[in-house]
Amino acid sequence: MMEQREFDEDVMPSAIDDDDDVFKDLLNVPADWSANDCLSTGIFNSFDPNEVVYRAQKKPCKTVGKYVMGDLLGEGSYGKVKEVLDSETLVRCAAKILKKKKLKRIPNGEKNVLNEIQLLKTLRHLNVIELVDVIVNEEKEKMYILLEYCVGGLQDMLEHSPGSKFPCWQAHNYFSQLINGLEYLHSRGIIHKDIKPGNLLLTLDETLKISDFGTAEALSPFDPEGICASSQGSPAFQPPEIANGADEYSGFKIDIWSSGVTLYNLVTGEYPFEGDNVYRLFEAIGKCNIQIPGFVTEPLRSLLVGMLKKDPKKRFTLRTIQTHPWFVCRHPRTSEKVPFPPLRGDFMHNMTVLPYLFNYHSCETPSDNEEEYITEQLIKDRPNGSTSVPIDDVNDPSKQPWHKPIVCNVKKMASCRLS
Amino acid sequence: MLAGNMPLFGKSQKNPVEVVKQIKEAVVALEKGDKKLEKAQEDVSKNLLVIKNLLYGTADTEPLSDIVVAQLAQEMYNNNLLLMLVQNLTKIDFEGKKDVAQVFNNVLRRQLGSRSPTVEHICAKSEILFTLIAGYEHQEIALNCGTMLRECARYEALAKIMLYSKEFFNFFRYVEVSTFDIASDAFSTFKELLTRHKPLCAEFLEINYDKVFTHYQQLLNSENYVTRRQSLKLLGELLLDRHNFTVMTRYISNPDNLKLMMNMLKEKSRNIQFEAFHVFKVFVANPNKPKPILDILLRNQDKLVEFLTRFHTERSEDEQFNDEKAYLIKQIKELKPTTSDQ
Repeated sequence: MMEQREFDEDVMPSAIDDDDDVFKDLLNVPADWSANDCLSTGIFNSFDPNEVVYRAQKKPCKTVGKYVMGDLLGEGSYGKVKEVLDSETLVRCAAKILKKKKLKRIPNGEKNVLNEIQLLKTLRHLNVIELVDVIVNEEKEKMYILLEYCVGGLQDMLEHSPGSKFPCWQAHNYFSQLINGLEYLHSRGIIHKDIKPGNLLLTLDETLKISDFGTAEALSPFDPEGICASSQGSPAFQPPEIANGADEYSGFKIDIWSSGVTLYNLVTGEYPFEGDNVYRLFEAIGKCNIQIPGFVTEPLRSLLVGMLKKDPKKRFTLRTIQTHPWFVCRHPRTSEKVPFPPLRGDFMHNMTVLPYLFNYHSCETPSDNEEEYITEQLIKDRPNGSTSVPIDDVNDPSKQPWHKPIVCNVKKMASCRLS
Repeated sequence: MLAGNMPLFGKSQKNPVEVVKQIKEAVVALEKGDKKLEKAQEDVSKNLLVIKNLLYGTADTEPLSDIVVAQLAQEMYNNNLLLMLVQNLTKIDFEGKKDVAQVFNNVLRRQLGSRSPTVEHICAKSEILFTLIAGYEHQEIALNCGTMLRECARYEALAKIMLYSKEFFNFFRYVEVSTFDIASDAFSTFKELLTRHKPLCAEFLEINYDKVFTHYQQLLNSENYVTRRQSLKLLGELLLDRHNFTVMTRYISNPDNLKLMMNMLKEKSRNIQFEAFHVFKVFVANPNKPKPILDILLRNQDKLVEFLTRFHTERSEDEQFNDEKAYLIKQIKELKPTTSDQ
């Protein structure tokens, strides 16, 4: 069962539904467009173009529970992922927004979501995504799964990198974190079943987080073998025993295989097996004639071969991987790092919740120096001036309590930035 | 290789051979007690600072190049400097003790390709490890030794030496000492040794099952609340780690262990009750309960159901706990004597 929280949705004055694109509001005349502004500038019929841009891209502030919503981070078949800010702890998180209607259309949709929530609640490890909260809105038939904030997945980074691959040292860093996380999961009897670059996320400090536990399985602690009977993972990452249609297989060895395919993918930019369709692909995987490109040299070569052994019994264990020379070696940084792809032009991945908060509090003005300094900083930090932040000159003491949190937010954001 | 007169790292730079020779002389002097204590301490600390700055760099200087570090480390191995420093740690002054730990940990992390030369050195000189473990006996160096020990425990080869030594069993004493910070430090090292390298730990626990769990029983019965609580929590973690499957099966087959957990469920401290629940559940959930276990549960069937129904009812937020509790209650209600019994 999942947590069913009393849903308290606080829609702030000019809020819109989070499903609607914020930019639909482009042409709305803002409510706080006070006559004073117009009078002071002496313009009635012609606008300063900059002013128009700002007013148009106003970001109405919306909260779900204690979380303040920010920009869209990504979208999947299940729904959207948005950045949010926990207004109590001031920690940035990501909210996976699921709609019941959409979930029903996906095979096992609801079941996988509940499975994921249940598993994540019991897991705590540096390299496993942390579940922060779950909020259900029965009325809107929506569920918000709050997870720790990540900048993006390895898949995204690969797609934006030359040759769709990472330099060896970078791949080694991610791979060793993957193996650490996997060791923890396996020690807790959990088989992930869908290890692939798309499910490996990174935080701003380059910590890898294994995510997406929708199809993961928790083995009985009393079953010594670790036998699984189902798998819904991505076809290209499935091992030969599944491609050949075995009924039962060692769960641990599936994760080893898909981690092997992942490593292959990270260092070569290709997949070890390809096919025009799933049948061809499974045929190729089933035969397991593996070709490793010539530029992959020892000891990496033997690690890949060991992880991609057709016979699960001969396939490496986590322990053999962890003691393998390529794994143990320190890999000096020899070439340029593949960066996180920017989010709408912002390479720094600054917090996107702030403009909403500023918008909400824009009627008040920072009176002391600190506030002004922060506002300027914020303007500088905005990507390509996509939004400018209003600095009005009204000082409303009734809104004072809000000053402090905003100060903290900005400091927090500054420290989050990649150096 | 290294041109001694090349101004690679500023003017006052000494070469590694010299640096190690000087610190060795200073430590020997400190050990013998020829000079006045303070003078000897000053000499050692001054030289330690030189080495630390070479390894870590300072505000003005960069850390040494790999080649020079390799030379420095090699000199340290040749002169058995690590052991000497550790053996004389009590005599070194406060800042010097911290510098020893920093130098030690830095040199330990050195890698040459896939090899870790310092780890190999310590493997050959395992006395270093045992001296460090014995450091928990001395209040003034216990925490410094702790940081070095945990750095060592990260390497499987070193963890193995420690686990399989008779000195390991001293930890059962150290985690209970009256000085809280030392006891906690010792406990975190103890936990690291028992959980870090899972296959190694599992093998160790299997081979030494009787000895380890006899000692462990004492921790669970300790007078010290913190020891009792921490050791109970660690026990739960160990038993539920799949690597320790064999150990878990063995542990939950012993009726004495079940009795202990049932008593702990009734402890005064709610935290201990809660941790005990997480071990107790393993006994009940086991689909193949041996007869002695089943007998105890059957004898207490009604009492257990009643007890669990009222157990920590305020944890209504913790769904997983409530699910598990409901599952246990159901299991216990449905318990029946084995057919061969009837």
